[in-house]
Amino acid sequence: MNEKLSRRDLATIACAGAAAALLPRPADSVSLPEVGAVISGDDLPALEASWYKKLPEGRVECQLCPRACQVADAERGGCGVRENRGGTYYTLVHGVACAVHLDPIEKKPFFHVLPGAQALSYATAGCNVECKFCQNWEISQFRPEQVRSQYLPPEALALFARREGVPLLSATYSEPVVFWEYVRDTAIAGRREGVRSTVVSNGYIQEQSLKDVLPHLTAMKVDLKAFSERFYHEMVRGELKPVLKAIEVIRASGTWLEIVVLLVTGQNDSEQEVRDLSRWVKTNLGGEVPVHFTRFHPTYRLTNLPPTPLSTLERAWQIGKAEGLAFAYLGNVPGHPGESTTCPGCGTRLIHRVGFQVLENVLKGGTCPRCHRVIPGVWS
Amino acid sequence: LAMSRELSRRELARLVGLGVLAAPLAAEASATPPRYPGRVGLAKLPPPPGAQALDPAASRVALAAALAAATGLASGRAAAAALFRPNDTVGIKVNSLGGPRLSPRTELVDAFAALLREVGIPPARIIVFDRSSRELRRAGYTIRRAGAPYLCYGIDNDYDREPSTSGEIGSCFARLVSTTCSALVSFGVVKDHDLAGVSAGLKNLYGLIHNPNKYHDHNCDPYVADVANHPFVRGKLRLVLLDGVTGQYHGGPAWRPDTNWPLGLVAASTDPVAADAWAWKVIDAERVRRGLPDLQDAKRPPRFLATAARYGLGVGDRAAIHEVMA
Repeated sequence: MNEKLSRRDLATIACAGAAAALLPRPADSVSLPEVGAVISGDDLPALEASWYKKLPEGRVECQLCPRACQVADAERGGCGVRENRGGTYYTLVHGVACAVHLDPIEKKPFFHVLPGAQALSYATAGCNVECKFCQNWEISQFRPEQVRSQYLPPEALALFARREGVPLLSATYSEPVVFWEYVRDTAIAGRREGVRSTVVSNGYIQEQSLKDVLPHLTAMKVDLKAFSERFYHEMVRGELKPVLKAIEVIRASGTWLEIVVLLVTGQNDSEQEVRDLSRWVKTNLGGEVPVHFTRFHPTYRLTNLPPTPLSTLERAWQIGKAEGLAFAYLGNVPGHPGESTTCPGCGTRLIHRVGFQVLENVLKGGTCPRCHRVIPGVWS
Repeated sequence: LAMSRELSRRELARLVGLGVLAAPLAAEASATPPRYPGRVGLAKLPPPPGAQALDPAASRVALAAALAAATGLASGRAAAAALFRPNDTVGIKVNSLGGPRLSPRTELVDAFAALLREVGIPPARIIVFDRSSRELRRAGYTIRRAGAPYLCYGIDNDYDREPSTSGEIGSCFARLVSTTCSALVSFGVVKDHDLAGVSAGLKNLYGLIHNPNKYHDHNCDPYVADVANHPFVRGKLRLVLLDGVTGQYHGGPAWRPDTNWPLGLVAASTDPVAADAWAWKVIDAERVRRGLPDLQDAKRPPRFLATAARYGLGVGDRAAIHEVMA
């Protein structure tokens, strides 16, 4: 199934509350029934934020993401989900899930984390950037009172995952940084239930808030949206430098890291930019961090650009491999060999994927069965 | 187009003069609602003691007088008849963020809606609205989706399904604005804003889009002007009304009991930029009077006014606006 259609469909279903039963989708997501109480704008729960400081005259400074919004009383930060009420800063989305689905972990994508496993995936409204090509803008670019949500506190999510036999939780779809307390508390609750947590993020986060939560996470995927400040400024309304720092912090922490680079046609897909990005990964993180070069589909505010040509993706894939990335992948190109994991030692195909499905996995205890090379990842 | 200050003033003064002289004739002759560039009509309305409600009759008199002063027409009713047609659906965007003490008073909104009814617009086509029903209720408005004397409800989540672009903004507009209403009125207050500098008629328009939180950098410039310049708004905004009975010179946008003052005025203008320039002027004057730095020195001048003027939305030069006291 086309990922763009799938994600938009999911967001629509979540917001419309149309999922009344388990609705299997071929090789893709399973929408879940609304098990929590539906929340309206009048009764959003408010939890004091964990990362902010108080300023004179009732103002606050958010210390969650690099925007460091200074927020006056009655106002919200740039994310739209944190509000200053009389000099105290609150998150309005703790436990306020607007999308809850069962996804294959390959959809995140994590290719080195429990291949073929399901992930109970959740999101709230809001985002701290505004990508003009956002696939999930119907939830990420809205405030919590503008989308349909249900109250699913961390313990409920964790318990739900355990009872369904799902080994992973995944904060995803919109931007988990803006619901970071929810991510933290869900990961803690999940660990108590024997369920591990993953995060799919833009990596636009302050170092301390990241470090505070990383110990609770099994894996984190970061969208490295480009390798130029120009692109981040014009297309994302964010900054590259803090994202690179966050990626380094994740890598150093021991939490499993994968990187996705969405190649937007004519915007961030030049040979030189891909080469510079690949070299930076190799030099600063090592060559064994998986990097997924994925296909852009026109959406949101970038409907005037065509999807990324396959030739551009394949060129990036080749550049990545030539620059020493042992696990360069292609994404949103179902059936392409670039979706599968190959042993960098002997070339054996280890995990055969088509779309989000794992057709074959011959890894033996995380090693290549032929040359016995250790393949990094979370395999059991 | 950048203009020198001298040229700008001269041109603005000329425009003001033309507006004063020609507008009544234009209103008679043309189906296009008249504009009076640079002109701000003012009427006195002292705040009642304590937290008492305004006197409805006094509110009506002041509002009508401000409208007449803003247009040079003989009465508030004549002004309303010139600005709106009986077949209009009029959306009145109020700014209720400040709660019951710093939102347009319901007595003034009632008075304006009555004027609209008097010129032939039925209650079902007079819609008082803000971002959310919750904020409206908190500010003292009665939510009403049918019946008289006018409708009143929040946008809540009723936005266009696709975003549209204007300058730097990409937003879904409230369907009330894009689809339902043929005419808009921005009914704001006169208050300091922590980031924009001033929140009066133009900043109030942030409540028309789904994602205003994305557009607060650089003192909200050019974003406030970009919202006002979108065809949905630029083509429909006929009037700005400001409840200046009580102003707030510092600490906005939320109500603060220690930084408001009895400004005692109701303002009206068909020029949304001039209305805000006037609000900036009175806020700065009060700040200086109380020993605070003006907004320029406080590093939050309402930069969006110059941008809005450059877009041709009105007169942004405080020295060039023409205040007409009723």
